[in-house]
Amino acid sequence: MNLFSSLILMSLIILLFPIFLSFTNFYNSHTFPNYVKTSIMCALTFCTLPSLMFINYNYELVISNWHWMTIQTMNFTMSFKLDYFSLMFMPVALFVTWSIMEFSMWYMHSDPYINRFFKYLLMFLITMMILVTSNNLFQLFIGWEGVGIMSFLLIGWWYGRTDANTAALQAILYNRIGDIGFVLTMAWFMFNSNSWELQQLFMTETSLLPLMGLLLAATGKSAQFGLHPWLPSAMEGPTPVSALLHSSTMVVAGIFLLVRFYPLLENNETAKTLALCLGAITTLFTAICALTQNDIKKIVAFSTSSQLGLMMVTIGINQPHLAFLHICTHAFFKAMLFMCSGSIIHNLNDEQDIRKMGGLFKALPFTSSSLMVGSLALTGTPFLTGFYSKDLIIEAANTSNTNAWALMITLLATSLTAVYSTRIIFFALMGQPRFSSLTSINENNPQLMNSIKRLLFGSIFAGFLLSYNIPPMNTPLLTMPFYLKTTALFVTIAGFIIAMELNQLTLNLKLNYYSHSTKFSTLLGYFPITMHRLPPKMNLLISQKLATTLLDQIWMEKTVPKLVAITQSSASTLTSNHKGLIKLYFLSFLVSTTLALAMVIYFPV
Amino acid sequence: MNPLTSSAIYFTLFSGTLITLFSSHWLLIWVGLEMSLLAIIPILMSKPNPRSIEAASKYFLIQATASMILMMAAIINFYNTGQWSISNTINQLSSLMLTLALSMKMGLAPFHLWVPEVTQGIPLMSGLILLTWQKIAPISIMYQIAPSINYNLIMFMALMSILLGGWGGLNQTQLRKILAYSSIAHMGWMMAIISFNPSLSILNLLIYMMLTINMFMLLYYNKKTSTLALSNSWNKSPLLTSIILMVLMSLGGLPPLTGFFPKWMIIKELVSNNNIILPTLMAIMALLNLYFYMRLIYSTSLTLFPSSNNTKIKWLFENTKITPLISAIAIASTMSLPLTPILSTLY
Repeated sequence: MNLFSSLILMSLIILLFPIFLSFTNFYNSHTFPNYVKTSIMCALTFCTLPSLMFINYNYELVISNWHWMTIQTMNFTMSFKLDYFSLMFMPVALFVTWSIMEFSMWYMHSDPYINRFFKYLLMFLITMMILVTSNNLFQLFIGWEGVGIMSFLLIGWWYGRTDANTAALQAILYNRIGDIGFVLTMAWFMFNSNSWELQQLFMTETSLLPLMGLLLAATGKSAQFGLHPWLPSAMEGPTPVSALLHSSTMVVAGIFLLVRFYPLLENNETAKTLALCLGAITTLFTAICALTQNDIKKIVAFSTSSQLGLMMVTIGINQPHLAFLHICTHAFFKAMLFMCSGSIIHNLNDEQDIRKMGGLFKALPFTSSSLMVGSLALTGTPFLTGFYSKDLIIEAANTSNTNAWALMITLLATSLTAVYSTRIIFFALMGQPRFSSLTSINENNPQLMNSIKRLLFGSIFAGFLLSYNIPPMNTPLLTMPFYLKTTALFVTIAGFIIAMELNQLTLNLKLNYYSHSTKFSTLLGYFPITMHRLPPKMNLLISQKLATTLLDQIWMEKTVPKLVAITQSSASTLTSNHKGLIKLYFLSFLVSTTLALAMVIYFPV
Repeated sequence: MNPLTSSAIYFTLFSGTLITLFSSHWLLIWVGLEMSLLAIIPILMSKPNPRSIEAASKYFLIQATASMILMMAAIINFYNTGQWSISNTINQLSSLMLTLALSMKMGLAPFHLWVPEVTQGIPLMSGLILLTWQKIAPISIMYQIAPSINYNLIMFMALMSILLGGWGGLNQTQLRKILAYSSIAHMGWMMAIISFNPSLSILNLLIYMMLTINMFMLLYYNKKTSTLALSNSWNKSPLLTSIILMVLMSLGGLPPLTGFFPKWMIIKELVSNNNIILPTLMAIMALLNLYFYMRLIYSTSLTLFPSSNNTKIKWLFENTKITPLISAIAIASTMSLPLTPILSTLY
């Protein structure tokens, strides 16, 4: 009898203790954040052991605890599925969350409601864990909705600001549209099988419909193209929120769902093609949008969105384990990028515009070096973290029988990744300072430094550690021509070089006004401008017209009476408006004669 | 005009039409038509002003063209069949050309454009002769060649006449043009039935002539040529104003009056021949005709048109116009509906 199940459950229960304690007086003390951070660290240690057991012995488990109710043929139980995906994701998520908690102890230090902030972050983490470890769709949906609600509360943390409120609402609305797909899938499975347990679902022969539902859910939650505007708007929340939710954990929930359901997806070609094309469009579109943003957090947000598109592409080429590996490695460097941005922002007295930063390389050496390491990891520099997942993905895409267009776009987006990373580095770190000189810039706080240090180690080594310790789930791709193997590297280097050249142009004194095609990128492809106004307005207008004017004004008044009157009076003025010229009359007679002749020839009596 | 010349002219007009009616030789038919054309030109110009002369020349051009086409048709018929006598069966090309020529003469759409122009330019009595007497000859020829007329063509032209007559009349305030468009519409009704029952065409023609003669005479009595003028006739001849009401309603085809009778018969005849959509459309379009008659009635008989108070006080002088049989024709044109059975057995 080993401790696998006990450890896992203990790890989950430890996360709940601070929530329970928030009802007591302890919630008002100033050590509550530290307690939360420590409990997450404990949970991390507790769940590392089962992960090691899994890595060593391939030990998987399903814990089925509590039978809630039975409705006709459906059993609703609380069950945890601890397999490859959840046991690998839990330590990563807890590690990253630990670092973010420590970071936010520094970042939100002056916030009077810092305890509530930590409670919200913890609740988010709990619902994310529920999502990841659930064995049935119902529990997954609980986690799914939970992360959505916590996202809403956290994006709107500074609720005095209108933009924050609208961004929070936007997140909820877009996620809701995705939830339609999720509920569709749940309903389909309820009709066509007798339970929502994943083991049973994987044995069902599915049509395209439930997979479409899953795809829609992933589009909503993971900000794929069409339901993507909420992710850049979600940067209204504080930087720890962006780091935790909108880079590492919540937005990967959609991809995680598709990864969970890979046995169903791999049999359906249409679903995979759709995922591939959707992911390709997303990754390119958001990379283009990231090129001309001026807010450092928005650039990183679009970078997240682009990487999510890449994950969707990976699912499309039937490599769910690579997508999962990318989820895990991406969490490290993306969270670190956000934390470095947070450090920069706070040190410049809440300045987020990169046009007003500069020369931070000497002022914040550790932050800038970790920013650069993070960017290098993001672009897939060989043997950093991102390389182990991203390069494998590009190789797999190059050698698969896939849509060549999607492949081209993915390669283009890969090079654009390098471009916007160079943009951040150039504007924030290099050159002469463009900020006011009265801010005190320092990196002396250990909370800030230690958290970034941990994630820095993760960004450098985690890829290696993860990819050499996970059990292989499919045959790896070993042989391909040299040019295919080095495609990702070359396009990335090309991106770096072009971006450096272009950025050097900004050092000239004479500004060459740029063309209007940049407006596509700056205005995010015109998507929010058109889609946030036009469809709601059309819907409301149509409903108003239908409700009020359709019956009374149109059917009763305009259709027959006014129509007849207008037709007759216009016909009358048309036909009796003569000039009186006999030449015209004879011309009309000639035309009529010709027509009559034609008529007699073709319709003889 | 010199009574000798005017009697010669009227006699030529009369005999021209009669020659067309009585002859069986195509050439003589053409002769009769030409005679009536040439005779009516001075009648049209009886008040010589530029407008009348313009109207007369337009009329001449159109009718001359039509006569030429008719001649051509007769010659082609002779070429094909070797005979000049008018018969029921003529070949398609001749039939087509005859239909077109006679439509031009009658003022059937799409050859109707001259009718309002010419009617507007001439004095009222000339207009009377133009719209009534000049229709007899062409319709009689149509009556004789009725079986060989292309059915589709004539139906199309008839329907279009009714449509254009209705729509055209909506936009008019001049009474002569209104009566011209009414003539176009009635020609349409006549030609609609000619393939099925040519006798009904003649019947329709007679009743139409009676109504139009009545109308013109009523208008001639006080020389009213526009709606505005007609609208203060309540003061000058109140009895005639009410008779105008009855005659106009009869012309529009309202049931208890005589004008209903031809429309009724035509619709009945068409429906008996399994032709449902066409009479429906024709009846609906006749409503447009009725509408502009009712507009006239509204402004003349039913309401007092706005006018200054000075025009409301008038001496009623005795009228010196010669209006033969105006009362008899008025009674005949409004109260003959009960005579329907005997009228339908006459033809």
